[in-house]
Amino acid sequence: MYEEPYRWVEAVGNRRRYLDDQFKQGSPVVALTYEGGILLTTVSKGTPKLYEIYDRLALGGMGHPTDLEKLRFSLLEMAHVEGFNRSPADVTGSRLVKYGIAPLIKQAFEEVYKAPFIVRILVAELGLKAEKDSLLTINYDGTFEETTGCAVLAATSAVQTKMLSYLKEQKSSALSLEQALDLGLRGWAIGSLAHQQDEADPQTEVKQPIRGMGSSAETIPSNEALIAHVRSLAGERMVECAVLERQAPGSSKYRPLKQADLLRLLPTALQSVVAD
Amino acid sequence: MGMQGDFLQLLKEQGYTLGAPTAAGAGHALTNATTILAFKYRDGVLVAGDRRATAGNMVMYDRTDKVLEIDRHSVMAIAGVPATAYEMVRVLEHSFKYYRRTQLQELSFDGKLRAVSKLLKENVPAALAGTGAVVPVFAGYDMEQSAAKIYFYDILGAEFEGVEYAVSGSGSPTIRGILHYLNTWGEQPLNALPQELAMMQALRLLATAAEFDSATGGVNREASLYPVVKLITGAGVQTVSDATLKPLYESKVVRYV
Repeated sequence: MYEEPYRWVEAVGNRRRYLDDQFKQGSPVVALTYEGGILLTTVSKGTPKLYEIYDRLALGGMGHPTDLEKLRFSLLEMAHVEGFNRSPADVTGSRLVKYGIAPLIKQAFEEVYKAPFIVRILVAELGLKAEKDSLLTINYDGTFEETTGCAVLAATSAVQTKMLSYLKEQKSSALSLEQALDLGLRGWAIGSLAHQQDEADPQTEVKQPIRGMGSSAETIPSNEALIAHVRSLAGERMVECAVLERQAPGSSKYRPLKQADLLRLLPTALQSVVAD
Repeated sequence: MGMQGDFLQLLKEQGYTLGAPTAAGAGHALTNATTILAFKYRDGVLVAGDRRATAGNMVMYDRTDKVLEIDRHSVMAIAGVPATAYEMVRVLEHSFKYYRRTQLQELSFDGKLRAVSKLLKENVPAALAGTGAVVPVFAGYDMEQSAAKIYFYDILGAEFEGVEYAVSGSGSPTIRGILHYLNTWGEQPLNALPQELAMMQALRLLATAAEFDSATGGVNREASLYPVVKLITGAGVQTVSDATLKPLYESKVVRYV
């Protein structure tokens, strides 16, 4: 019955609704460039969401853990085979995304008889110079965007926009790692709060398109309130952070931040959270 | 099949082969023209090699690096056909990284040894044809056991643990005996040597090998050409700079007759 074009469009539409629904429980992911490289951060529930892909590439994901694993393996395979056959310098995020996994995700999304990938993906690439750093995001339908400075994954595009505008407004050009971590977690809290709000009051999402009057009336929570929000969730979730460091020794630039690093770097109000 | 984290398998699925025998066939004498050595010292393992690459009687190149870092805690020193050896190092480097990134844990030290062995086994046809024999020494720091380890191999991939030291290459017979002597009757056993003395002994051993083996390059002070010396400890692999080797060589190795 999907042979008829209308049916197919309808089926794809249903698929979008189904997929949007799947991300409701997901935790946003934030990527930020700072003076020493790129920081990725999220507050996750058990399964890790940040991974190393190649010497200068990191992955952040939202969605179904098994789907994320499948795509993570595809990325790893492509990156390592390319790095071996050509050279590590030829493994770039944009090639892996544009010619590698984005087409895979799109195809799975449009083949309405088969299961789509329930994932949103962020690929961070550390350039040799800071101006070459790039951040790519891919949606569940295969659309990708390449940005610099900051990028996020969130449950809905409205939340995503909110997080991005907050991050862009607060971000100064040269953040230290501590500052980036603080900002990243506040950005995460903006997303998490906005999402909670949407859940509690579904009408707000419908009103959102009327900009200007609405958004100015909306007050942005204070820094303390945002950090307090992260703190309030810390019992059931854990702060997960990883960095790509330009000055790291050796060829692999990815480093997950361990408990000891976090104790040193996190805003004071959050240090108790990782201490236990 | 990537679920096992086996990079070589992944390459093979894409049609890659290491060490295919060439038509040239038997007849080449196996020359492993070089000298590499590894021994345990107080803080870890020292691995060193001369820098000459030869083709028959010709000196091809005098700045070869035969002591190659595979990851933060392991090093492979190579004697044999450089083309195959470098390729093996590239495969190993990618294999260890691929394993770590897919499986989210480091490959164990034994796993790394096995990987070297497997590559050598793959390479047997080329080794027997005389076009790709490689006789490596693998040294590293086993983080789980907090111990430095040295292994050496034959061209077929058999793995032997060199308890205190291992050597390979055409210059190695000359210094193997010296290492045995030093370790057994020296003032202190090799594994008690502090870093500076260990480096001094390595330079003296390589100078001896160069004295008696034409395929082993010596030190060329005019060109500031010193052997490659690497130290592997719990903190990782460290390459000793020429600036450190130069005064050591001049004060402790050169003899003014």
